Amino acid sequence: MSIALRYLCRQPGAPAVAVEVPQGAVSRAHLPDPQSSARFIAAVAEARCEDGEELELLGEPVTGLSNAARARLLRRVGVLSPRVMLLSNLNAWENISLPAAYHGSPSLERVAQITQEVLAAFVEEPLALLARLPEQLGTLQRRVVAFVRLLVNGPELAVLDNLEEGLSREERACVARFEPEYRARHPSGTLLYVDTKEEHS
Amino acid sequence: MLRALREIEGGLKLSLNAVGRMGRLRRAPVRESFLRQVYFTGVTAATGVVLRASVLGVLIIAITMDVLDADTDLAVKILLLLVFREIGPLAAAVVVILRTGTAISAEVAMMRVSGQTRALRHLGINLYDYIVVPRVAGVMLATLVLTLYVQFLAVLGGLVFSPLIIDATFMELAGRFSELFSPVDFFYSTIKALLFGFAIAACCCYHGLNPPGLTQNAVPQAVTRAVTQSAMLTLGINAVFAYIVFGILFFGLVTSKV
Repeated sequence: MSIALRYLCRQPGAPAVAVEVPQGAVSRAHLPDPQSSARFIAAVAEARCEDGEELELLGEPVTGLSNAARARLLRRVGVLSPRVMLLSNLNAWENISLPAAYHGSPSLERVAQITQEVLAAFVEEPLALLARLPEQLGTLQRRVVAFVRLLVNGPELAVLDNLEEGLSREERACVARFEPEYRARHPSGTLLYVDTKEEHS
Repeated sequence: MLRALREIEGGLKLSLNAVGRMGRLRRAPVRESFLRQVYFTGVTAATGVVLRASVLGVLIIAITMDVLDADTDLAVKILLLLVFREIGPLAAAVVVILRTGTAISAEVAMMRVSGQTRALRHLGINLYDYIVVPRVAGVMLATLVLTLYVQFLAVLGGLVFSPLIIDATFMELAGRFSELFSPVDFFYSTIKALLFGFAIAACCCYHGLNPPGLTQNAVPQAVTRAVTQSAMLTLGINAVFAYIVFGILFFGLVTSKV
């Protein structure tokens, strides 16, 4: 089975981290502390390694990639993380459609269709939510909007970081439905949940 | 010293990138951001602040004429050389620095401090394209429009109020003004206004993207640096233009052989 993500981190003064995710699987990575988690998410989200790190995304080592190749690779990876936040001066719809509008694909009609379908499954008043700024949204609503933004880009590898952090039991049940929603749209996609052991325990 | 050199290098790099990436204005989100910038810098400023700046221009003419005991010829020359060429672009630049420069540097610094610029990078969106290019282009265009607006109002005000101070009619002054006015005056102030806008926006974007720290306290520091350096850049550009056109700099200490 081929590997969707391979990450190694051996930095002085920090615990060693090794993550390997098979292609097409749903995996969980428990990282030792929030710093390791932040380093890992930054490396994956930017397809870039610092000293002591090694990263391979969708079969490609990220070291030595040209900017264009890195941008192409990143289009195939999606990260949902408190570190990849919504832009505060754009409403929910503008946040969702921004990457597609900037890159020119998918079309805005397709983005609207996906948004409508996904929001209908997760929130009660999708249209009202789309017009709100991030500061006017609750924690779960912000996470749903970020998840829609991730789905719209159709990533082959989706990384969900600290997904349940700060959510109530009912809200956790809601975000648990992210996985089947992603699977339904990307049956061969790879899903990785990331959390820290401190928060997990 | 090292920081100053680093800021010059960073500012030049940002400026070159902004110029080289102007074509990205074709992309919808960049274009929207550009239009938003034009609206906030040009349209909202034009309603109130510029009118006051224009009144300032009229006052300067009135005082100068009174002190110099001006006749029709001198009054029109003051209008053309002082108000049209110098005060118009400078007044517009001051308004843009105070209103837009502070807003841009604070907004971008907040984006940087709160991690939103990192989020943009993660989404594959180039910061120059989304943050710098629309602001630089928008501020350039808005500064030009504000300059023309200030010039029009100040010159009109000068022509209307001068007959109250000197022995000349409005028609005499307007006729002499149209005789002396040349396209060079228009191009001179147009180029200067565009350069002012470019320098202000690039400087404020640079300091917004490079605040002295990544805490909330860094935001006002970034704004202070941006505004101070924008003002210095504007005055510097004005001095260079004065040297090129009038041949003298620093009250005649440096003179041109041209």
